[in-house]
Amino acid sequence: MEKNSLVEKLTLQSESFQEGFEILCKSFSFEEMTKNFLHLLRGNFISTRIHLFHKATKDSDWNSIQSQEKFSDADFSLLSLNSPTPIKYFNGEKYNAVVVLPLSDSSYLGILIGGKLDGSELNDFDKITLQILLQVFDSAHKSFINQKNEKKLIFELNEKVLQLNNLIDTGIELSKYENQTIIFELALGRIVILTNASSALISISDNKNVSLEKQITFPQNISPENILSSPHKTESSFDFNNKSYRLVISEKETRKGTTSFNDLDEMLLQAVSRQVRASLENDFLLKQSLEKERIEKELNLAAAIQQKIIPEKLPKIAGYQLAGINIPSREVGGDYYDCFDLGEDKYALIMADVAGKGISAALLVSTLNAALHAYLEFNLPLTDLADKLNKLIYKASPPDKYITFSIVVLESKSGTLDILNAGHNPALLLRKDGTLEQIEAGGIGLGMLDLGIPYSGQTLSMNSGDKLFLYTDGIPEAMNINEEEYSEQRMTNFFKENSERPVDEFIRLLVEDVKRYAGEAEQSDDITSMILKKL
Amino acid sequence: MSTEFNLISELQDKTLIIKTEGYINNAGGEKIVQELEKHTGVNKLILNLEKSKVVNSIGISHLIEVIEKLNQVNGKLIFTNLDPTIEKTFSIMGLFQFAGKADSIDSALK
Repeated sequence: MEKNSLVEKLTLQSESFQEGFEILCKSFSFEEMTKNFLHLLRGNFISTRIHLFHKATKDSDWNSIQSQEKFSDADFSLLSLNSPTPIKYFNGEKYNAVVVLPLSDSSYLGILIGGKLDGSELNDFDKITLQILLQVFDSAHKSFINQKNEKKLIFELNEKVLQLNNLIDTGIELSKYENQTIIFELALGRIVILTNASSALISISDNKNVSLEKQITFPQNISPENILSSPHKTESSFDFNNKSYRLVISEKETRKGTTSFNDLDEMLLQAVSRQVRASLENDFLLKQSLEKERIEKELNLAAAIQQKIIPEKLPKIAGYQLAGINIPSREVGGDYYDCFDLGEDKYALIMADVAGKGISAALLVSTLNAALHAYLEFNLPLTDLADKLNKLIYKASPPDKYITFSIVVLESKSGTLDILNAGHNPALLLRKDGTLEQIEAGGIGLGMLDLGIPYSGQTLSMNSGDKLFLYTDGIPEAMNINEEEYSEQRMTNFFKENSERPVDEFIRLLVEDVKRYAGEAEQSDDITSMILKKL
Repeated sequence: MSTEFNLISELQDKTLIIKTEGYINNAGGEKIVQELEKHTGVNKLILNLEKSKVVNSIGISHLIEVIEKLNQVNGKLIFTNLDPTIEKTFSIMGLFQFAGKADSIDSALK
């Protein structure tokens, strides 16, 4: 062929080569690229006997592309990698040309070109065209591989951003829920996304891993055994509130199957595990806080009930001075005092102390108060009254709750005192001449037992200048920071030494003395007392 | 390993509607690709993910493959009924640069 003619023909074809390159570059996959290349070859060489092959690596087999034809070993032997040039030409053979083109991804493209439709051999123009087309394919393939790598890089970068975002969101989401099952299901869903795990499990057992409490899996239809028996699994565990929590993920997915988890996956699992623990801790602390708030509300309510029961002021008794005080400790206490005007110059002085504190103590005080209002109207003998109160309190209270109780009924005109002491600290009667009498007649505390044990009372006479002092154990048992008690002795001495003072002043000074003794020690019990002085 | 994934599909002219249920992972993603390949001439795929709340990145790579296959025929993928978490995931992974989203199948069909 004339040189000028060859150049002219190639010039005319150049536009076609450019179009071919663009078509190859637009290919969606390698298969599509080779399919398009096959069309280009067949169009250029006017031949249907052109076959393409691909060898993924140096050591792998050749695979036929876009052909249903069976190829012999002899055909494949033509595709030798050891040839010094990529193209070998043959005349009068089955194939006119054999190409083994190394590609940029270390794979190989093999081409077998048979005879043209018109039966002619490949001429110079065909040979130059083939070389140009191979260059076109190589360039397009490099572009394809670059695009593929670029897409992969972008995907991996986006995936990292997604992981970071998911990790942050997981912490936020987990903190929103109180229901543990929701927390666990959410955590499982997140950890499979973060690590590409096929499945995940949360197992909850007691601290010693003896008793299995619950197992939750993702997806839900997978058995825990299936996950735990996987050769590709990793786990993270923690203990909280006497329980062991174990998070397991299994079978890291890839497009080609499953594999083992890497260090990053383990870090992500540990991060989610820590978030689950934080969520459980927050929920626990929140519940504790709410419970504390609830108890405080109940205590406030109980305190309000009790404050309504404790008299704001005591009745005035002609010929007598009467004063009393109740200083509850920080908790709602169970001390109670009152003075009922029974009419006909009779008054009932009450001093009581419920065993224990809190709501139940306040309720028992309330019960006692109501019962006294009911029974005192009937002017019962104190022993009968005590018996009735004992039965009532016994029925109304749990076994560990009872009331120590003192009642003194004063007939103000005569100065007669009917006294009954149900397990309470003895009332102290200080005569004008300084003689101190302790009145202990009575019986067991109210509500302690219901065995019909009779109560006994005592009748005394109060004369001018005599003082009667009732109190609860919050005074003698008040402690200082060394846990030393104020003591009965110190209280009795104070009573003796200060009994001539006006009753209000006596009460105020007594409280001051007890508090001075206790110093910085917290008041552990109610301080309640009442003093009656006959003028 | 069982992965709890199911799908149902319906062909309306050249529009394929697929409703999925369960974890879109490698197996789930493959099933979606295979379902698209079963039908020739499809140029619009509506993928209702209402019952799929978890998608991992391998599942996403299959969805990208679906998008590329549809691009080859000038077709389009439209996601519907997306859970907010999945919507955020797709957004970060850049899927909405090449695929649409709609509140429901009806609005995707318009």
